[in-house]
Amino acid sequence: MSRWQSAALLQWLAFGLLAAGLLALRPVDLLSTLAIVITVLTGLKLWEARRLQERRLVCLLQLVSAGLQGAMQPDLAASLLQGTAVLVALGGLLALELGTAAQWGVLMRRSIGVVLAALPLALVLFLLVPRLQPIGVFPGGWGAVAVTGLSDTLEPGSIASLATSTAPAARVSFATGAPPSPEARRWRVLVHEAFDGSRWTAREDDPGEELLAWRNARDGKGSLNQVWLSESSPLARLPWSGSGSPSSRQLRVTARGELVHRGPRGQRRAYAITEAPPPFIWQRERPGPELLALPAGANPRLEALGASWASGPPLERLRRAERWMRAQPFRYTRQPGVLPEVAPLDAFLFEKRQGFCGHFASSVSALLRAAGLPARVVSGYQGGSWVQPLSGAGYLDLRQSDAHAWSEVWIEGLGWLSVDPSLWVSGGSTAPALSPAQGMDPLHWVERQWWGLDLAWTRWWLGYDARSQEALLERLLGDRRDALGVVLLGAMAVTLAGGLALLSWLRQRGQGDPQRRELDRCLLAFARQGWVPQAGETLPQLAMRLRQRWPELEPELGQFVARYEAQRFGTEAVRPGAGELRRSRRRLLRRWRRIRTPGPESAGGSWR
Amino acid sequence: MDLLKRLDPRLPPRKEPRLRLGLRTLYILPTGLGWLWLGGVGLLLVVGVQTQTNGPLLLAFLMLGLWLLALHLTHFNLHGLELACGTPSWGFAEENLPYPLLLRCAGLCEGLRLHWLDASGEPLTLDSLRPGEHQLELPWRPTSRGLSHPGRLRLLSTAPLGLFVCWTIWQPPVAQLLAPARKAGPVKELMDAAPAAVGRGQAMRLEAGGDDWHDLRPRRPEDSPSRLAWKLLAQGRGHQVKRFATTAPQALVIAADPSLPREQALQHLSDRLCRLHRQGIPFGLLWQGAVVGPDEGLAHRDRCLLLLAEAP
Repeated sequence: MSRWQSAALLQWLAFGLLAAGLLALRPVDLLSTLAIVITVLTGLKLWEARRLQERRLVCLLQLVSAGLQGAMQPDLAASLLQGTAVLVALGGLLALELGTAAQWGVLMRRSIGVVLAALPLALVLFLLVPRLQPIGVFPGGWGAVAVTGLSDTLEPGSIASLATSTAPAARVSFATGAPPSPEARRWRVLVHEAFDGSRWTAREDDPGEELLAWRNARDGKGSLNQVWLSESSPLARLPWSGSGSPSSRQLRVTARGELVHRGPRGQRRAYAITEAPPPFIWQRERPGPELLALPAGANPRLEALGASWASGPPLERLRRAERWMRAQPFRYTRQPGVLPEVAPLDAFLFEKRQGFCGHFASSVSALLRAAGLPARVVSGYQGGSWVQPLSGAGYLDLRQSDAHAWSEVWIEGLGWLSVDPSLWVSGGSTAPALSPAQGMDPLHWVERQWWGLDLAWTRWWLGYDARSQEALLERLLGDRRDALGVVLLGAMAVTLAGGLALLSWLRQRGQGDPQRRELDRCLLAFARQGWVPQAGETLPQLAMRLRQRWPELEPELGQFVARYEAQRFGTEAVRPGAGELRRSRRRLLRRWRRIRTPGPESAGGSWR
Repeated sequence: MDLLKRLDPRLPPRKEPRLRLGLRTLYILPTGLGWLWLGGVGLLLVVGVQTQTNGPLLLAFLMLGLWLLALHLTHFNLHGLELACGTPSWGFAEENLPYPLLLRCAGLCEGLRLHWLDASGEPLTLDSLRPGEHQLELPWRPTSRGLSHPGRLRLLSTAPLGLFVCWTIWQPPVAQLLAPARKAGPVKELMDAAPAAVGRGQAMRLEAGGDDWHDLRPRRPEDSPSRLAWKLLAQGRGHQVKRFATTAPQALVIAADPSLPREQALQHLSDRLCRLHRQGIPFGLLWQGAVVGPDEGLAHRDRCLLLLAEAP
């Protein structure tokens, strides 16, 4: 195999790894499209490259492609894939420059060596170079294709039957390593405020809310509390508990208490929530008059019932609604049938009286508005399965079947309160009890173990952000922050020198006579037990002495000596390969380690 | 490499007979890929900052670290390498000739490329040189006869990552003797007029015949083993057959055609005497009023060609 073929093999391998990474990437925004385009271009360039410069360019494109994929996919599997692709691409670059030719194993070892040498310097820069703020926001996307169990519109009357999907929605791990209390296992995603009589709609983001969101984000000064891995979704909103503060400036909390990611949509998302003291700003955000709006005449019986509760303090109005709901013969079902287009909520509340969480949440929110209380519908997830993987901390596994909707009502003096009308009518049966995941088939078991590792990696990987860097610099430099430049340059010089020394050591280690190295390892092992070659003693003579004392060293000792002699002095036909000598040495040393008893004989001199 | 082409004329070549490469003799610059690499680092930094993700940031810093490492590694690859001239043998102008070089490496040197700047010739690429002394022959194509230098030699390496090019410019001081180019054409042919010729005594002796051989030629299958030069065979110089002369060789004497330009006439002469040698025809060379030969054999041919090479 020629040098070009070695390089081509490694570069095609790197391309294959990057192409595999593309399988989980969807072209829904500028960045993901760029990553896909660059990877495809890399393949085309590799196909037609004939000159050295073109092949080099392919390597650079592969590295950039891996970096872009890293921005989109920070989870463990994708990171492993990207890291391997980087190593293989560098191996390809080395193959283009060096003459180690066909030995692509050697090239990979050199690639790993080069990366290890550069890694300390990279880590110094990664840890100490101050993080810059984003200059702007990438365009939000052009065509989401992913699906979750949630939608920005909620119209339960149009749903005849609710299918149960067990597709994964998100996973969350907690700093405590234990699951939260059942009341706290409600994860909000969308807040639906606009109501047209049958449909609740979530509002689009308002840039004016940024100030509030930023203040809210700055409140969090605590440690990482939750780490989330959310499956791809066409929504910019992400599930969270509503408490704490996002750890990334890419995340914003809106005035409605939604967690919004400002990056591209439609990708798997990893993010962290830090601890922050209550109350949270969104819970105190006073509603506008639009949150009392009801389309007049859309559901006349509902409006009349709500209006009958409109007198009295707000909490009393809420209790009246709860009492009324509990008193009616409502039934929770996932097959409620379609409601009429005219006055659908009237039909649900006063005639059919069967439905799922969306029916109850939208009806109660409308009733509370009719009673003069600002109310809205929140959709998200509830419950989840607690998974305790063999490695790492436990996590909560949320599926699309855990999707849920509930109401929020504004109570003067208390702020926004969450109420779950489904619990009023079903006595809590809609929320699955938190229990360890059981009855899984082996594939699901492996999947959940992997997710545990994935979350542990994400917690570690996301853990170092601008805030962590600030804390590190505070610990390192205290109030002498102006010395950061000097420290950074000094650390760069030291790590660079260390990297060069490492490469020099690796190179010297790889040089010299490989057969002699195998022999030296054996001699060193013998010498540690006091068996040192005597002056003028040949290898067969030393072997004879060892054999007399340790007959159980045979046949490994005899094989090693014979192979060494054949390698040294034999003809080409009988000369064993270096690999065979190495295997023979390993077998001999394994046997030698089993003996382990210090030898009685010891003599000076050295053997050559 | 275009940048190097622009830079090379401005860099003074070193002319020492033995050059040890070090800080004062090596130049280093990023290659095109090196500059693009920095662009890639910048792109990944922007992506990392914009998306606030650690992956692109770490990869960007890793690539920057590799860039800084490559700067040193590429320089260390050539640092300490010693260049010296071998002893060049003579050859013909306008033909590819090997120029002997000696390279002494202190450590492993990888990805070396040697290339004459002032003379045409195929560049030589060496994948790796182990520590120790190595003899190389770098071909070049001289244009004129006489003592000639191949000019400036560029030794460069981009190993191990191709991000930097490190090079030196050296002018080997040892000249190579070159006979006129071999070009077929008319020469002046004379019959042996038996003047007081150079080597005439030897020819006389040959005419006398006897047991002494006067030249060697490669052995042919039909040659008797008794003519084999056993002593030379024992010395490892191949199967040579002794040539005996019992009759006087044909007295063909050639000289430069005076009607042609001098250099052209010498080139034709060079070609003719090579062909006569190949055909095994004894010949003499009329040179500056004296005849060299008539004679045959390799030594005679070389003697004549060297006279042509050194012609004023």
